[in-house]
Amino acid sequence: MTSAEIMSLLPLLVLAGAAVVVMLAAAFFRSHRLSLTLTLVGLVAAFASLPLAFAYTPRQVTPMLLIDGYALFYMGLLFAASFVVALLAYGYLEKGEANPEELYILLLLSTVGGAVLVASSHFASFFLGLETLSVSLYAMIAYNRTERRAIEAGIKYLILAGVTAAFLLFGMALIYTDTGTLAFSGVVAAAAVRPSLMVMVGLGMLIVGVGFKLGVVPFHMWTPDVYQGAPAPVTGLVASMSKGAMFALVLRYFTPIPPLERQGLFLVFTTIAVLSMVGGNVLALIQDNVKRILAYSSIAHLGYLLVAFLASGPAGQLAVAFYLVAYFATTLSAFGVVTILSTPDHEAERLEDYRGLFFRNPRLAVIFTITLFSLAGIPPTAGLIGKIFIAAAGVQASLWFLLIVLVLASVIGVFYYMRIVITMFRRPETEAAQQALTGLPRGASVALAALSVILVGLGVYPVPVMTIIENMVARLV
Amino acid sequence: MAEIPTQYGIILAAILFSLGIAGILIRRNIFFILIFVEVMLNAAGLAFVVAAARWGQADGQVMFIFILATAAAEVAIGLGLLLRLHHLFKTLNVDQASDLRG
Repeated sequence: MTSAEIMSLLPLLVLAGAAVVVMLAAAFFRSHRLSLTLTLVGLVAAFASLPLAFAYTPRQVTPMLLIDGYALFYMGLLFAASFVVALLAYGYLEKGEANPEELYILLLLSTVGGAVLVASSHFASFFLGLETLSVSLYAMIAYNRTERRAIEAGIKYLILAGVTAAFLLFGMALIYTDTGTLAFSGVVAAAAVRPSLMVMVGLGMLIVGVGFKLGVVPFHMWTPDVYQGAPAPVTGLVASMSKGAMFALVLRYFTPIPPLERQGLFLVFTTIAVLSMVGGNVLALIQDNVKRILAYSSIAHLGYLLVAFLASGPAGQLAVAFYLVAYFATTLSAFGVVTILSTPDHEAERLEDYRGLFFRNPRLAVIFTITLFSLAGIPPTAGLIGKIFIAAAGVQASLWFLLIVLVLASVIGVFYYMRIVITMFRRPETEAAQQALTGLPRGASVALAALSVILVGLGVYPVPVMTIIENMVARLV
Repeated sequence: MAEIPTQYGIILAAILFSLGIAGILIRRNIFFILIFVEVMLNAAGLAFVVAAARWGQADGQVMFIFILATAAAEVAIGLGLLLRLHHLFKTLNVDQASDLRG
């Protein structure tokens, strides 16, 4: 391996090294603060090594990994998400008694998995990245091991991810049987030229597997249960990292297939997008549980992303990249507010828990309002700009039907987001519930404030982020 | 020795895979569900080995080793969760161990 290859792998190496360091540190000194510090340092170092690696791109490192602007951009996004989750988790775990140190090891490992996933250019690295991500997530979801619901959610996710992996692997095996290559580039070429029956079945199974991971309708059944049962900071991670990494990968490798050849695929993805947008928003309407509402909302958001994915082309790439940035910030902010109000023994998930939040802690209520506005796509937030980019990409590709569904689904969405906002501004009934909420964990509060600044900032002035995206992501197209 | 046609191997793998799915859908005991997940993963592994034999490459076998390794990691956590489930719910039946409802 040449030094240039090692340089371009630097973010992955630094992060994997950080995971080992945190593991060793936790073995010798059981200090929550030390684990958090090492984790944050590791993530910052990995983030700082991105520009160093960028100097050596684009580079194919072994047949397994393709390090280019696209991969590095999404790696940066994942590292930032992981950073926020670590800060949120610290405040959350401080309130519990369980051993908190291991969560950071798992967090770093899942980030490594996600980063490998977005850089993978081969079925083997795809599978290994995915499993590194999922296996860490099983343990993180069931982290409150004395809670019945956390264990239940962990087992549900484990069985589902196991079945998903089996589907993906069988699909890969079928494609490999027919094409004789495990590299994505070869597979895409083969699928575009002569899609035999075996390749079609294999692609179908891959779509099932990917659909489960993204949690899109009709593969969404696990989402609400896992979101509800998992600890709030981990839910934020499941919603952002595991879905975002998978989406980035799918976008990269399905886009080169020319539109004519993917007529069948186009129809499948259109159906999934419409079902997700409508299903997610309608099912969220009948929920009373904030975590479940956010789960259905994430299903709908993945549906919106699929519209940009179907639009493809540079505009689609741009829209997906921007929407994912906005979606990451919004989702983490939403689960950040839930996290700050929760303890490992009691998750603040009922709508009642948010009643009168404005009178108990106005700042937190304002942050949550901004977040919900962004989810609903109300100005001046990042969510709106993201939707505009998706709509622009859709108009360019003349996807009128999908755009109409998108607009109607967003209107339905406004109802249940506003329901939470209104609840926060209603006076609580009892005196006890009116007490001011103070002593919130500092790191998590700072992270939340920063996220809402980003949300509004992106909504008002998205140009800097657009420039980065254009330089790193869209240059490929 | 006569060579076994690729199709036979793929069909066998597909049968195993279907048995795995059927088992997961029918069985209500978490222990058996985990076993059937393993059956599905190994069916995929068999398909990889058959495909590798067709192309005369080692790639499929390498994938099979990856599958074995990750399946082992999965089962390690799966059994850990299974013990916790039994401890907290006093049952291994997935229908009875279900609190999460919307």
